Amino acid sequence: MNFKLSEEQEMLKKTASDFLEKECPESFVREMEEDDDGYSPEVWLKIADLGWLGLVYPEEYGGTGGSFLDMAVLYEEMGRAMFPSPHLSTVVLCGLTILNAGSHEWKADLLPKIAKGDVIISLALTEPESSWNGRSWDPEGITVRATAAKDNYIIDGTKLFVHDAHIAGYLLCVTRTESGTRPEDGITLFLVDAKSPGVKCTLLETTAGDKQNEVIFDKVKVPKENMVGKLNGGWAPLARVLQQGAVLLCAEMVGAGQRILELTTDYAKTRIQFDMPIGINQYVQEHCVNLLSEVEGARWLTYQAAWKISEGLPCDYEVAMAKAWASDGHERACWYAHQVHAGVGYAIDAGLLPLYSRRGKTLKYYLGDTLHHLRKVAEQMDEWPSPQKTKGKPLGIWNIPEDKQVPVWQPWRERYDKIEKRKEERRKRKI
Amino acid sequence: MEFGFTEEQEKLRKELRDFYVNELPEDYTPHITPVSEKLQSFYRQLQKKAGEKGYLTPGWPAEYGGKDLGSIEQGIAAEEQGNMGVVWPGTLAYRFLGPGLVMFGTEEQKKEFLPAIARGEQVWFEAFTEPEAGTDEANQRTWAVEDGDDYIVNGQKTFISGGYEPDWLVTEVRTADTTPKHRGLSLLMIKADSPGITIRPLPTMGFGIQNDIFYDNVRVPKKNMLGQLNRGFYHVMQIFDFERSGTEAPAHAKRSLHEFVQFCKEEQRNGRPLFDDPEVREKLAWMAVECEVWRLISWHAQWWHSERKQLGPKPYDLSGFFSKKFTTRHAEMRAEIMGTYGQLRKGSKHAKVVGHSVDVERAWQSSRSLHAAGTLEVNKIVLATRGLGLPRIPAKFNKEIMAAIQERKE
Repeated sequence: MNFKLSEEQEMLKKTASDFLEKECPESFVREMEEDDDGYSPEVWLKIADLGWLGLVYPEEYGGTGGSFLDMAVLYEEMGRAMFPSPHLSTVVLCGLTILNAGSHEWKADLLPKIAKGDVIISLALTEPESSWNGRSWDPEGITVRATAAKDNYIIDGTKLFVHDAHIAGYLLCVTRTESGTRPEDGITLFLVDAKSPGVKCTLLETTAGDKQNEVIFDKVKVPKENMVGKLNGGWAPLARVLQQGAVLLCAEMVGAGQRILELTTDYAKTRIQFDMPIGINQYVQEHCVNLLSEVEGARWLTYQAAWKISEGLPCDYEVAMAKAWASDGHERACWYAHQVHAGVGYAIDAGLLPLYSRRGKTLKYYLGDTLHHLRKVAEQMDEWPSPQKTKGKPLGIWNIPEDKQVPVWQPWRERYDKIEKRKEERRKRKI
Repeated sequence: MEFGFTEEQEKLRKELRDFYVNELPEDYTPHITPVSEKLQSFYRQLQKKAGEKGYLTPGWPAEYGGKDLGSIEQGIAAEEQGNMGVVWPGTLAYRFLGPGLVMFGTEEQKKEFLPAIARGEQVWFEAFTEPEAGTDEANQRTWAVEDGDDYIVNGQKTFISGGYEPDWLVTEVRTADTTPKHRGLSLLMIKADSPGITIRPLPTMGFGIQNDIFYDNVRVPKKNMLGQLNRGFYHVMQIFDFERSGTEAPAHAKRSLHEFVQFCKEEQRNGRPLFDDPEVREKLAWMAVECEVWRLISWHAQWWHSERKQLGPKPYDLSGFFSKKFTTRHAEMRAEIMGTYGQLRKGSKHAKVVGHSVDVERAWQSSRSLHAAGTLEVNKIVLATRGLGLPRIPAKFNKEIMAAIQERKE
């Protein structure tokens, strides 16, 4: 057990925090919310230079071979700064899926481009029918068809809540090519040139003001070579990446939560009402402590999951627990902060809290909300073996309730005798 | 970062688990309050056996009866005990008071008491709470007055945990009439069979057994002072830190959940296992997530303790907070799943959860109070003020507030 970051990770954290403080102040976050693209190409190239875009790719594909835990450290800082960028879509959700399942040609072509900041890719996964009650991220939800036609596939259907599609060069589209016996069978991934005829992208208006889209694929023709991974075998490599993405969202929530905690305690210490700082009131203190507990819980669940992924260990249980807790906890953390800030936390132009709180909405649902991940936790519990049984010689005394046991220790024996005597006398009286 | 254990640590864990699996009877139920002679003598013997092998205190120095291993190994030992839910006679001695002795006992006291504690031979009580000193720990009225080489102790303690006849009572006493009142307290180790001590039962809703203790001119040698004169309050706070943290409680909660999940898988409702009900699954999944948070936070404290030299004192520890919060939540969620069956006492006709599983009815009762080592509210205030640096109402205003209330009444 060791809860400390390595020296290199501390350095990465410091570099990221310094860079984001300079390049991503509150004003930048607000600008990007109003911006049609929602990101800055200049800053995107700067983080490419810092190596953030190729952080976990192997060197042969233009990366630096960092660990997944490094990525989590980076995401904590990005979450803290609310850094608006298509990093998760491009580098993680699409890039890592291509790395996992793509052909050598695609990897050699796209990954170095991603690492250099030359291409943005967006994952077109979720659909209108399944986007409720935590169901969007289940393979059951994939109904957009891809039908073989000679050397091409024709993709037809609508994807919804597609992050960063409006700026993407490629869309990684998750399609159904066959109705298998299990929902995860028969899913195939295609890289679709975003400029293909028939692709229509419409920006949605969201709580966070982030850039999610409706993408309509109207009989879009895609060459066979654009298939990523095996025909009908797209879910397995994608599912692993969705888990990784979920953990990184948790890390963002940890970073954001930590900053919210700092803002809130600072405010409680400095805001004077009734001639006293409001933080002297125990109702206010309770909100701060609850906030702290949500963030700290999320922190260690997240880092445990990230560590498991880094080490290549089975992580289904840990990832689901982390996102279940963080999705629920982050919303509540923001709520506690709102209660302490009251009106000030409500006014959009005044401070950071509305920005965090509204972004929290995206983070909560993206890649699975609490309900979705609790279902995953329960699926793991299905596999729990029965608890280990003890093997010693039976004593035959364990199921006696304590008020029926004759105590051996004197003061308790006296009490027991007294009660028994009382009961006895009452019975006698009835006769 | 590293969320696993070394090979040696895993070996120790397996050794401990095998020991408990082989030693505990096959009809054993975890976390039952031991009252009868048979149960108590069984636990006493088992504790001695574990103590001889160094399983109670592997993290202590070898000269005091440990295995010279670290804080992590001590955490593993606690985890395996929690997993089995054994109610040890000596828990208080080696979990809270022993580590306290290591921190602020004299060399002579350490040599005298620690090896016996590590061998699992002694039962210690911590006698801190008084009728007028519950949450207000510093409001102690049990006086210890100097008399030659001794102190004479008079007063009453209440809600003192322990169901085994004790050997020693670590008693918080007032040794000086000071302002602020917490600067005049000290700790005395008092032999439980000293003349003038009376113990009376104080039955509660909890799993644990609690007592009232009366001191009537009890004579205690001065050398039995634990820690420094008039520094007792700070020592007690340190002991409470040990009491609030610890990997034992989350391990026990996880085990209880595991047993309860097994029960839900076996129990049939309308021809299907209870565990297939989506609402039951959601509740149990939440409990699993919370057990994991609790486990990690406790390990964080355990790890911090092992790195204390580098990291300094821990600014805040959430394990007590989570322990109190989740104990209630889990007891209630289990009871909700059981529905009206949840009110049936163990041994009753139709009582459902038997065998290894936790007693749902009793656990619910027990969770009605979470006052040990400070209520949940006190935990929150400690976290807010000590941990987050929020201001607290200065004690000097207390008298003014009381006077204002009095005035209004009149």
